[in-house]
Amino acid sequence: MKSRLLFPFLLVTLFSGFTTIDTINVTQINSAKLTKLIKERKGKILFLNLWATWCQPCREEFPSIVKLAGEFNDVEFAAVSIDYPDEVESKIIPFLKSNKAVFNCYVSGFKHDEDLINLLDKHWNGSLPATFIFDRHGKKVAFLSGKQSYDRFKAEILKARTGK
Amino acid sequence: MRIKIYIAAMLLSAAFVANLLFAAGGAPSKAENFKLKDYNGKEYSLSDFKNSKGIVIMFIATQCPVSNGYNERMARLFADYKDKGITVIGINSNKEESAEEVKIHAKEHNLNFIILKDPGNIVADKFGASVTPETYFLNKDLEILYHGRIDDSRRGDEIKSQDLRNALDQFLNGKKITVTGTKAFGCSIKRVGA
Repeated sequence: MKSRLLFPFLLVTLFSGFTTIDTINVTQINSAKLTKLIKERKGKILFLNLWATWCQPCREEFPSIVKLAGEFNDVEFAAVSIDYPDEVESKIIPFLKSNKAVFNCYVSGFKHDEDLINLLDKHWNGSLPATFIFDRHGKKVAFLSGKQSYDRFKAEILKARTGK
Repeated sequence: MRIKIYIAAMLLSAAFVANLLFAAGGAPSKAENFKLKDYNGKEYSLSDFKNSKGIVIMFIATQCPVSNGYNERMARLFADYKDKGITVIGINSNKEESAEEVKIHAKEHNLNFIILKDPGNIVADKFGASVTPETYFLNKDLEILYHGRIDDSRRGDEIKSQDLRNALDQFLNGKKITVTGTKAFGCSIKRVGA
């Protein structure tokens, strides 16, 4: 009897801190929140993807990111959509659900696109998609502009992991 | 023989420096002349417009939602400045968008300015243009006076800063252009080989 009660309890406890496809939550991210995300690494490297639902190459590379997120438990994956905050329910969440993306997803809450661009890389001209990898100390170690392959992403993650 | 080697070395060095400039993502300070055909097959050279007070070059697309969000604003920009001596030229460098598609799109959206097709994205590469829409404002000496977004909002009702228009107005009024470069999100130009 005890074990019968214990099993559901363990399941709930185990998954309560995780995002599931049914509980995908997209919150707005601003300068302070993004800086905190980058700096508070807690020993994990950060794989940060910038995308939009209207950006076809972004949509094309997204499944590779979802796949990698399932393979690297020691890497924090996050995505920032630059769609508008009022498009979360209508556009962003349906896309994330269809891709089974269960990592942290945000929508840009920056008043000016240029502020977000410059916060991440002053040399970035704003073309999407763009991916940034930060090491365990929050130092940017890769900036990938344009659509990337699964292999390229993986190689960059491995490089960031080993610090080489 | 020695002279030939010297010239070859000089050319290589110049090409290397040029590549470095473009690789750094910086727009050239002066645009090179180029020749492209419009969607009807008529050839234009950038130097054809040297009698204009200034030239606006806009890298645009037919399928990019961001670029399409600016169609009305681009049409209005052309209408507002054509009689002020400013030439507006659109360039489509996307490999997947044919001249015929560009023609239909222009007609549908009242884009009445010259739109050139850039096969092989050669001109986009020369300018270092990456996204649509991305604009350059040149004086008649082809010096780049402004490079960047049209304005600061993809949504027409939330514009706070008319960056391209501000640059044009300041130039036409003989004033110094205060903001010469801006950035914005847009669709990547679909280049050949990409």
